[in-house]
Amino acid sequence: MTAYIIRRLLLLPLVLFGITLIVFGLFQMLGPDKLLSAYINPNLAEKLSPEEMEKFKDKYGLNDPLIVRYGKWISSVFKGDLGWSLVGKEPVLDAMKKRIPFTVELALYALIPVVGVGIWLGVAAAVRHNSPIDHFIRIFAIVGWSFPDFVFGLFVLMIFYSVLGWFPPGNMSLWAEEIFKSPAFKHITGLPSIDALLNGQFRVFVDCLRHLVGPILTISWLWWAYLLRITRSSMLEVLRKDYVRTARAKGLDERTVINKHARRNAMIPVTTVAGAMVIGLLSGTVIVEAVFNRTGIGSFIATAATQLDYASVMGGVLFYSTILVLGNLIIDILYAIIDPRIRLT
Amino acid sequence: MDKEYKRMLKKFFKNPSGVFGLVLLIFFTIVAIFAPIIAPPQPSNQYEPYMMPIVTWSPDPQPPSKEHPFGVSERRDIFYGVVWGTRTAFRIGLIVTGVSTLIGLFIGSISAYYGGWIDEILMRITDIFLSIPFLIAAIVLTTLLGTGLDKVMIAMIVFGWMGTARLIRGNILQAKEEQYVLAAKAIGVSTPGIIIRHLLPNTIFPVLIQASMRMGSLVITAAILSFLGLGAPQGYSDWGAILNYARNWMLGAHGEALKYWYTIVFPGTAMVLFVLAWNLIGDTLRDIFDPRLRI
Amino acid sequence: MRKFWVILALMAFAVFGFAVKGDPTTLVDLTISEPDTMDPHYAYDTASGEVIYNVYENLIAYKGESVTEFVPRLATKWEILDGGKTYKFYIRKGVKFHLGGDLTPEDVEYSFERGLIFDPAGGPMWMLWEALFGIDSLEGFVEETFGVPYSDMIDENGEAKPEYRDKLISVYTDYIDPAIEVEGDAVVFHLVRPFAPFMSILAQGSSWSAILDKEWAIEVGCWDGKADTWWKYHDIQKEESPLYAVANGTGPYKLVEWDRTQQKVTLEANENYWREPAKIKKVVIWGVDEWATRRALFEKGDGDICYVPAQFLSQIEGKEGIEIIKGLPTISVTALHFNWSVKPDSKYIGSGKLDGEGIPPDFFSDEHVRKAFSYAFNYDAMILQVLRGLGKRVPYALPEGLIGYNPDLPMYEFNLLKAREEFKKAFNGQLWEKGFKMTLLYNTGNSARQTAAEMLKFYIEQLNPKFKIEVRGVQWPTYLDTYRKGYLPAFIIGWLADYPDPHNFIFTYYHSNGVYGHSQGENYEKFVTTPLEELGGKTLNQVIEEAVAETDPAKRQEMYESVGRVVYNHALGMALYQPLGLRVHRSWLKGWYHNPMRPGDDYYAYSIEF
Repeated sequence: MTAYIIRRLLLLPLVLFGITLIVFGLFQMLGPDKLLSAYINPNLAEKLSPEEMEKFKDKYGLNDPLIVRYGKWISSVFKGDLGWSLVGKEPVLDAMKKRIPFTVELALYALIPVVGVGIWLGVAAAVRHNSPIDHFIRIFAIVGWSFPDFVFGLFVLMIFYSVLGWFPPGNMSLWAEEIFKSPAFKHITGLPSIDALLNGQFRVFVDCLRHLVGPILTISWLWWAYLLRITRSSMLEVLRKDYVRTARAKGLDERTVINKHARRNAMIPVTTVAGAMVIGLLSGTVIVEAVFNRTGIGSFIATAATQLDYASVMGGVLFYSTILVLGNLIIDILYAIIDPRIRLT
Repeated sequence: MDKEYKRMLKKFFKNPSGVFGLVLLIFFTIVAIFAPIIAPPQPSNQYEPYMMPIVTWSPDPQPPSKEHPFGVSERRDIFYGVVWGTRTAFRIGLIVTGVSTLIGLFIGSISAYYGGWIDEILMRITDIFLSIPFLIAAIVLTTLLGTGLDKVMIAMIVFGWMGTARLIRGNILQAKEEQYVLAAKAIGVSTPGIIIRHLLPNTIFPVLIQASMRMGSLVITAAILSFLGLGAPQGYSDWGAILNYARNWMLGAHGEALKYWYTIVFPGTAMVLFVLAWNLIGDTLRDIFDPRLRI
Repeated sequence: MRKFWVILALMAFAVFGFAVKGDPTTLVDLTISEPDTMDPHYAYDTASGEVIYNVYENLIAYKGESVTEFVPRLATKWEILDGGKTYKFYIRKGVKFHLGGDLTPEDVEYSFERGLIFDPAGGPMWMLWEALFGIDSLEGFVEETFGVPYSDMIDENGEAKPEYRDKLISVYTDYIDPAIEVEGDAVVFHLVRPFAPFMSILAQGSSWSAILDKEWAIEVGCWDGKADTWWKYHDIQKEESPLYAVANGTGPYKLVEWDRTQQKVTLEANENYWREPAKIKKVVIWGVDEWATRRALFEKGDGDICYVPAQFLSQIEGKEGIEIIKGLPTISVTALHFNWSVKPDSKYIGSGKLDGEGIPPDFFSDEHVRKAFSYAFNYDAMILQVLRGLGKRVPYALPEGLIGYNPDLPMYEFNLLKAREEFKKAFNGQLWEKGFKMTLLYNTGNSARQTAAEMLKFYIEQLNPKFKIEVRGVQWPTYLDTYRKGYLPAFIIGWLADYPDPHNFIFTYYHSNGVYGHSQGENYEKFVTTPLEELGGKTLNQVIEEAVAETDPAKRQEMYESVGRVVYNHALGMALYQPLGLRVHRSWLKGWYHNPMRPGDDYYAYSIEF
């Protein structure tokens, strides 16, 4: 197994290298003129004369051949410099560092209702297999899944902010931000809400949570369908197993059978899926962040892509890919630990 | 074999959610086929019937009326867009699922059958493609290709085949050791022959279920790309695009939070039901085929 | 399980229990765009300009709402000498920069010289170059003076080549330095010729004329003030400028933070301001791109000012506590212009032939086609319905309020019969018989441009079933790229004044060297360089060039009107509308006034009274 892990870890740089080649190559297909537009503020770009455009291209080396440009980029990457983010208006690394905590925080908190309610729904549906409740739960979950998240997100915003005024958009309130950015505030974990607790700023912590509810709600409904499906089928399988039948035959009441015997065993595949879900949540925040005006890495990379800001896109893709590859590795290992029948080769 | 199918069909029709899904799907198919009759394009619009006709210059949405039964959004007739959008939805779903499944089948079966370094290379390529989150990959590729529905579909195909490839590879690896394959090999059936005639038919069912589930989600991905300004061109009959028009209006007017409900409800319902149909069918097939299958 | 519910209830209480109300000394401005840079000599967009307006100060300022009258700011008074070739400004005493430095005449001299030397490509400094030296860039000036391209005088490391070193030094010592001089308490500008818009170029709101603290600027790494180093500070990249993210002005507000992650700029009142300190102590300018989100924040009272696109105005009209001011004059226009010689390999002209499946590249060289298009646009519907009345018709691409504007100049009306007639005459009737097919583009997100294109399509396709216009949205980089390179048969484009003078518009749109004139093809260039009878044998280019040098306003008016008549007679372009502004803020905000040349808000004038 150690050999397997090492082999997979060794593959990581190779995979990342492949990705940079693909992304970089794709961007360069656009040609210098379109790439140039990323360097200019759209509001004033209309005022530029063609000669000025040419000057710009030289200034940013856009007329250089592809290999030269890639060489420049990759050598600066090795020096720890991912380039300048046109969308973030600062170095890519800084821009990402400031955004990642908000996305990670959102994904981690979202995991709680997603997993909790998702499993609960899945068990409920499986226990009442093919009953009206089963059908209802499944349809309820699929409806959430069938809505593009921007529609549902705007609904949440309308109800919980415009009408009720409970959960405002953004990262945190202005006053909270002032405390958060003050020199006395220590950034320990990097996650704003946890740091607020560690700093004893309970109100800031609550304020962060208030701003998280809307996006979490949106994401949750989206993911329930996914988790429900896995829990349900896993549960159905377990319910047919001999030991469950035996438990029932012993005369244990149904609740005990399900809680003590069936659910626990059905959770094995679910646990492994949860890992994949963290990754999915991390990349699934693109739209939710845009709707709730949160400054996370997801909306960052989407904006960067639509504005042809390749340095930021590369940075974001590298981040996600690393997480994906490492995450998948961890999941594989977990799986092997939980289920001895799996051999890692 | 026939008997087996009959038994499965019977099981399918006993499952209410499956039947409901099928009914929905038939309904959408009918709408798609008869779109030119249900919502005839205007004479000036004949050469591009997928463009929703402009009915007013005012940017305000207009509630359902006799001429515009679903109302007007972004100066365009929603009813027309929803009807013709059915075709768009089928097209996105069928083409993307079809092509990416074929690519996945091809790569997966080659990889599994030959094994060795071919397998190694193909699976590493698959890894690279899997290492970029789907939505992000689709966003990047669509931006680079330029806006338009065809570009969206290409992007979704390019980053959509890996699941199938892995699934089919795993299944074939299992089936490869079975007696009938070994027997076919022994009597000298050619390699493609073995893959196509023996391996695929026995492993394809899960792939089909997976494909049917993806049909729906692709329409949503396309809608999300619309939200980012990367989807179908403005005015094109596409549910996602019509929903996207509503984004600026859905908080309603002052004092009337639900004033513009029709901009969301009609295209939204169409979309939800379409996705629902495919999912219910997929779910039911899976339940029948093998309840333990976790897709 | 019970524990879980208790915790949940506690959490819910915690979440709803606290709510903090805003206070009257903090103002939140909800907008869409984010500043580009804090460097006054690079900033050329209104979002950057707004911050610079409140942090830095200029020598003079516009008087209230006027764009023609000026009041002293960092200058106490001024004199215009030599028939408009020399300007003398007396510098105010006792003014302190935010970081403590004293304002001196040397600071003023340094500020302008640093800008002239920096002259970033795509930046605003061309205005001062044009005003002071009559050539619109440093590099152009160097090439004009020495006959060698600037790029040839500099080596790869950005150092002057030895053979040109002395020449480059002389650029500063012989030209830039003498142009702006300190004379006692005053600073004197020497122009090579009288230049009418000079005062506007200097006025508050023109970030390129903002005054820096020389000592501080050198300390943070700007040009060191020496003649033999300046080229190292010329045209550096935006993010490499030491002033990119910091600011130290004399203005009523200090820049506290530019949070580029959240698109937030935080300003704080300058308590040592030379006038009364501002009443609003803290200003947050917050870019919220999604309209629904921005609107929700504003309606909840979490924002005091909100950018509202005209098409969504109906959503907030009628809500109490919100003040809406409509129809504010702007100095800008939106127009559609034709490309007279489309690149033959363009994919927007179909087959590229007159066969019903495309258009010939010189399609718009035919006057009848241009006239037909001009007649086939519903100008009133555009202004009244699409823009909700927030627009005004103008005879040609010159907004109301500037010299040369005359509402009585002839205009094309919306008339499909006449459009039909003109189409029948085009290409000797062949066009009508065979039909055509072409593509109009707009940049996605610009719904006014989109609707304008769709409107042309709608009406022209009604005239003849063989006429086909495809309307397509593209991202703005593509839009810009394709029209610049001459691939678009026609393009819709707007212009916002750099300074309130007709030259800024007429040259841009109609001169063949103007940014937009340039994109109208060789045939257009031929047309504007051919003498016209209506202009007394002069070419259109000539008249435009002569008009800017003319100092008599009446004569200028006459000259620009003659340009307007040529535009009408030959249908050189369709001036679609002059947009009118819309202002939305909470009614507790007091003190707002409009000035069309001001980028954004003047927070100093405001107070909040609940």
